[in-house]
Amino acid sequence: MVILLTGLFLGGIYALIAMGLSLQYGVARIMNLASGEMLVAGAFAGFWVYTAFSVSPYVALFFVVPLAFAFNWLIYNWLLLPLVRRAKNRGQLEVDSILATFGMSFVLVGVMLMAFGGSYFSYSWLARPIELLGSNYSQNRVLAFAVAAVICGGLYLLINRTRLGLSIRAVAVDPRAAGLVAIDVKKVAALTFALGGAVAAAGGTLLSTFLTFDASIGVVFTIKALVIVIMGGVGDIRGAIVAALALGLAETLVATLLDPGLTLAAAYLLFILILLFRPQGLFGRSAL
Amino acid sequence: MSDDQGLSCRDVVVAYGQHPALRGVSVQVAPGELVVILGANGAGKSSLLNALAGLVPSQQGEMLLGQQPLTDLPPHRIVEAGLALVPEGRGIFGDLSVEENLRLGAYSERARKQEQQNLALVYSLFPKLVERRRQIARTMSGGEQQMVAIGRAMMSAPAILMLDEPSLGLSPLLTSELFRSLRRVRDTGLGILLVEQNARQSLAIADRGYLLENGEIIGSDQAAALLADPAVQHAYLGGAAAKRAG
Repeated sequence: MVILLTGLFLGGIYALIAMGLSLQYGVARIMNLASGEMLVAGAFAGFWVYTAFSVSPYVALFFVVPLAFAFNWLIYNWLLLPLVRRAKNRGQLEVDSILATFGMSFVLVGVMLMAFGGSYFSYSWLARPIELLGSNYSQNRVLAFAVAAVICGGLYLLINRTRLGLSIRAVAVDPRAAGLVAIDVKKVAALTFALGGAVAAAGGTLLSTFLTFDASIGVVFTIKALVIVIMGGVGDIRGAIVAALALGLAETLVATLLDPGLTLAAAYLLFILILLFRPQGLFGRSAL
Repeated sequence: MSDDQGLSCRDVVVAYGQHPALRGVSVQVAPGELVVILGANGAGKSSLLNALAGLVPSQQGEMLLGQQPLTDLPPHRIVEAGLALVPEGRGIFGDLSVEENLRLGAYSERARKQEQQNLALVYSLFPKLVERRRQIARTMSGGEQQMVAIGRAMMSAPAILMLDEPSLGLSPLLTSELFRSLRRVRDTGLGILLVEQNARQSLAIADRGYLLENGEIIGSDQAAALLADPAVQHAYLGGAAAKRAG
């Protein structure tokens, strides 16, 4: 039971970075290999706010979210839009965007190494236990999960109940048809890319309250996000959430019952199983 | 003639690199008239519609909708201005339902205010869509998808509707049904610019026609006159050779 809840808490926050990548890949058609670095930047912000000002790291969210949004919007318009313009088909755009964002991740890691040094960092905040359903859980994990759930809920409402969300879904389904109904596809793609980056950074701030980070650990999260997005079916928000919870559970199971060092192996094993038996992902359509 | 909301283009030149697709084309469509552009493969028909819709750039020439110039406007602004396109391959949201497709059609500012009326209009023109409103678009037959595409375009409240070879892939029976629907659409007051290879059936419903060959307009007249013209009959209504020209 402890494993179940702990796994769900972890998975709930993984869902954030996965949603970020799902938005960027499903709508803007950019496979953003630097999304893990965005998450780490958010984590650094949480660390800095707590250690420098002794206030709740959640305060960092107030500037992490708009800054990450603006930064990703700029990245899309300066670095990625030229690739979009010259790509003759979707496959070429994917390859180009993978290469470009891969390079960008190195730049970001370098900047963070310069700013924060190469050592591991973590901080202890709200590490007191809270009793739920008969067992003790760390308050910081529970709170992070609650905030992640609120953010996911907000995203769900945005995408399914607003006009902007309608245009986002339309572009995800078919950008050409979206252009024919007077949707400004480039603007929607840029906004969604920015939103995806902001969500990933927020996830990083949340994770920093109970995980240990260093400047180069971003790639691990990018991989996990990729695993979740593929597992859940590309472009499917529900699928990403379910897959994220499954991954959180699987990792916690393995870390508790086997060895904490095997969490990444567990993620890959899950990934391979899904690809072998249901390559379109849990909720994806058959033609990927 | 610059009608209040008529479409007109003059001397439009479109080239893809070295390959000239349109060498100075001038065409007009007034509201309430159905104009057809006939041409074989490679004549430049799609290039003209795509240039008018802002999907490909034009190197020269002017394009106007009423008084509003369309040159250099991005595609979504052109739809806002009142020019809608049903492209080759239909351009519908395959994974969404019929009703979602139609409602998305009314996304623009211009169309939002009239969404309910236009929805009722589209359902009255295409009654088959009513019973299928929740069906996923890509599971429908070609003819039904064509109806969804036209309905979607009408939902954007256009003054002029352009269609790129809508009869492609349809049986002769479905094609005449489609063309009869287009006549009814014209009767609601829209102007229609229809690009086709199917000369006989399209001239039968049109008011006027243009002949496009190798990127140039080589003839234009009332539809009835074109139907009766022996040269047109030879080039477009008789020989299979005409289909391989250009």
